[in-house]
Amino acid sequence: MAEAAQSLHPSQPLKHGHSVKRHTGLMDWITTVDHKKIAILYLWAGGIFFGIGGLEAILIRIQLIKPMNTFLDAQTFNELITMHGTTMIFLGVMPVIFALMNAVIPLQIGARDVAFPFLNALGFWTFLFGGILLNLSWVMGGAPDAGWTSYTPLSSTGYSPTHGVDFYTIGLQIAGLGTLIGGINFLATIITMRAPGMSFMRMPMFAWTTFITSAIILFAFPAITVGLVLLTFDRILEANFFNVAGGGNPVLWQHIFWIFGHPEVYILILPAFGVISEVIPTFSRKRLFGYSSMVFATILIAFLGFMVWAHHMFTTGLGPVANALFSVSTMLIAVPTGIKIFNWLFTMWGGQVRFTTPNLFAAGFIPTFTMGGVTGVMLASAPADFQFHDTYFVVAHFHYVIVGGLVLGLFAGLHYWWPKMFGRMLSETLGKWTFWTFIIGFHLTFFVQHFLGLMGMQRRVFTYLPNQQFDLLNLVSTIGAMLMGVGMLIFLTNIFLTSRRPADAADDPWEDGRTLEWTIPSPPPEYNFKQTPLVRGLDAFWKEKMAGHKGMTPSEPVGSIHMPSATILPFLMSVGIFIAGLGFMFSRDEFSSSIMSFLFNNYIVTALGLLITFGSMLMRSLFDDPGWHIEPEELEGR
Amino acid sequence: MTTAHAEAANGTLPHEPEKATLEGRNKVLAFWLFLGGEAVLFGTLFATFLALRNQTNEGPSANELFHLPLVAAATFLLLVSSLTSVFAIQAMHRGRVTMLRNWLLVTVLLGLCFLVLEIYEFSVYIRHEEFGMTTSAFSSAFYTLVGFHGAHVAFGILWISVLIGQLMHKGLTVVTAPKIYVSAMYWHFIDVVWVFIFTVVYLLGKVG
Amino acid sequence: MATKQHSPDSPVKHRHRPEGPQRHIVVFVFSIVLTLIAFAAVAAGGVNPTFAVILLLVMAVLQVILQMGFWMHLKDKGHMMPIIFMLGGFFIAGTCIIMSLYWVWWD
Repeated sequence: MAEAAQSLHPSQPLKHGHSVKRHTGLMDWITTVDHKKIAILYLWAGGIFFGIGGLEAILIRIQLIKPMNTFLDAQTFNELITMHGTTMIFLGVMPVIFALMNAVIPLQIGARDVAFPFLNALGFWTFLFGGILLNLSWVMGGAPDAGWTSYTPLSSTGYSPTHGVDFYTIGLQIAGLGTLIGGINFLATIITMRAPGMSFMRMPMFAWTTFITSAIILFAFPAITVGLVLLTFDRILEANFFNVAGGGNPVLWQHIFWIFGHPEVYILILPAFGVISEVIPTFSRKRLFGYSSMVFATILIAFLGFMVWAHHMFTTGLGPVANALFSVSTMLIAVPTGIKIFNWLFTMWGGQVRFTTPNLFAAGFIPTFTMGGVTGVMLASAPADFQFHDTYFVVAHFHYVIVGGLVLGLFAGLHYWWPKMFGRMLSETLGKWTFWTFIIGFHLTFFVQHFLGLMGMQRRVFTYLPNQQFDLLNLVSTIGAMLMGVGMLIFLTNIFLTSRRPADAADDPWEDGRTLEWTIPSPPPEYNFKQTPLVRGLDAFWKEKMAGHKGMTPSEPVGSIHMPSATILPFLMSVGIFIAGLGFMFSRDEFSSSIMSFLFNNYIVTALGLLITFGSMLMRSLFDDPGWHIEPEELEGR
Repeated sequence: MTTAHAEAANGTLPHEPEKATLEGRNKVLAFWLFLGGEAVLFGTLFATFLALRNQTNEGPSANELFHLPLVAAATFLLLVSSLTSVFAIQAMHRGRVTMLRNWLLVTVLLGLCFLVLEIYEFSVYIRHEEFGMTTSAFSSAFYTLVGFHGAHVAFGILWISVLIGQLMHKGLTVVTAPKIYVSAMYWHFIDVVWVFIFTVVYLLGKVG
Repeated sequence: MATKQHSPDSPVKHRHRPEGPQRHIVVFVFSIVLTLIAFAAVAAGGVNPTFAVILLLVMAVLQVILQMGFWMHLKDKGHMMPIIFMLGGFFIAGTCIIMSLYWVWWD
């Protein structure tokens, strides 16, 4: 980046001692473009949404603890399941994935920041405001209630007359924009910002999965963008895309949703694969078994992920040819996934395995995820799916892959990189308590749901009759959910206690770090690397350690480092989109106050919001960011 | 990089100023990635249109509605504007700022004419043919697909206009050059999408 | 920005000669011809519909390949990543279109 800075201002010498306005407190967080701080923002925001989604899950499980329960009514239950799914996927786990990517990727590839720090901040703020918009529905006339898949005609105005589904379409649209921006940013970062010597085939596995995940985001999110636009137009502008009376077709929504929706689940799981592929070699003191097959399997999963969407629609009636095709393509995914499972096992085999908390989560991940994968192959069989469809068997399956896979992976990653992000080691004792309560709770909750499904209990129904052999298993499931909640509370306690201890984590706190992030201080300085390292092979740091070196060989002399300026514009752009979204949503409403009617019905609020957004974009375009420099004296003086 | 630096320091720009800095190269690359996403966006819109193309709900059909001369004129305008934006980039590579500005202006004007033509077309459909957003699934799909493209044209016009202003104020530098190059890529992509629109929506609509 | 501005239209010495406009004009002529063929086939009428569909799509794809290759410089060196990601985008777009043609309406 120093190099780039010089060429940015070629006709004048670098402005040495260029003063920079430093923000503090809240302003610092709102204006930051530092990937490490944005990672923490993603973690906090994602954590809060995850907590909301978790509470919704607990409420759902309390309602189902006994037959004919009256704890919740049907409408509230529908809103809760919709918001639980939507929140967890789009606002809970995706931001935490982005938190890990932001915290780790630039460090792992030896870069001083992402390719577009400004866009990075913009991606975060649009995600956050989209999430806030979606959750505002609870206090503004009712949450969406058509399920996270929002199938038409259930989600059309005929059956969802309130604004609930509008909050879904517009909230997700805005949050999705943020995700797309983040995806493009990480693609560009990984393509262009790798340290000298780090070829693609020397990249850490987490960088690879981030790269492939970002590519899936790039190709999948535009599809849901269109799907949400069509649904919004149907609901607000009375278009006819999914309206049978006007010639539309509800099946089209299912297709568009799943053309996005299935790749989306690979967007979720691939980063977890990456985390596991980092944690297991570190704590086995062995290089990852079959690195290149791992890369190949990741690419293959991404490709196949786009070719299987209709397996969600076997019962729609696409016919035997389509069902057979999608059955086969779905089963094919088991091959690259199986390659990965065996690679992890072979990495551990013969290694000096240490069961630290991250490695416990990683070791727990492998069998749990495999179980989810096996039920996936069962569901891939179209004839059998007619039995499984819309039962708790499906619920058990996707919780096994998403919670048993992704969430365990995220826990592994958070415990693993926590010292790098915050400079403090999480308590190992509490970490192990978290692991055991969470994983036992998890299996209690969801293992029994396989059998509930096979016995015919339907998903998304707010209660059930007694004496169908559902009672005991549901009770067990609810107890398990409570136990998972306890695990989360232990984790939060761990974070709280750790935050009160001094930040004294070593550069390489696990002592067996293999990749570049462990060569710099914990937490890293804002420029990450004083000198960009020279990479000599896969597992760059481990290679130097084995050669008897203490650190990396630098690839450049110590020099002035160019940094991007903090800016409030990403925040303002997101506020603008938020206002525009709210304005558009209520544009057809009747208000008691004539001023409100005037403002909303004439799209004035929408225009105002767009004006803020486009105005901020114009500001960004007109006023170039000269950035600022950290001088060699400062670097040496720390 | 070092040669670019030296040349620029002498007061001349490198041959391809948009690629002289890491920021510039990143911008061009990321814009390509974005266009990959845009391809999926328009692909999904085309898919929607194709699925609903015969669902006229007793409203006008494609064959009754479209007039080829109008479409041909719009096509010609956009095609020429894509060529003029090539000329603009060539002028930029030669370091000819005035010529660059003029070609950009011509591009914007042609884009504006295209947009006027499209608005005229839509207004005829709505007022004289009783063909609005709510008429049928076909009409919804038509307005959404063609309207998305029109919105892209409108944004491109605004964008390039802002860049012309910057070009006049800041001159052609390694900061402004990538912006102009990227906007030209965007403009070509809009033309590429239009090639599919006039083929799939209008011509195939006429064929039936 | 403080970067020096070019004096308008001053001849600049280049080590690489920038490519001339000729080939771009050739691409333009080809585009016009392909477009004309497409419009003419439809305007003339009486063309077999299946043949018309194939002809129109071939004309469109040819034109797009020409424009993306020459006008957007995809044929030049150093465009591997753009080509990969554009092909990826077109591939997924094609998947969507297959979906819409075969799996939305059925008997």
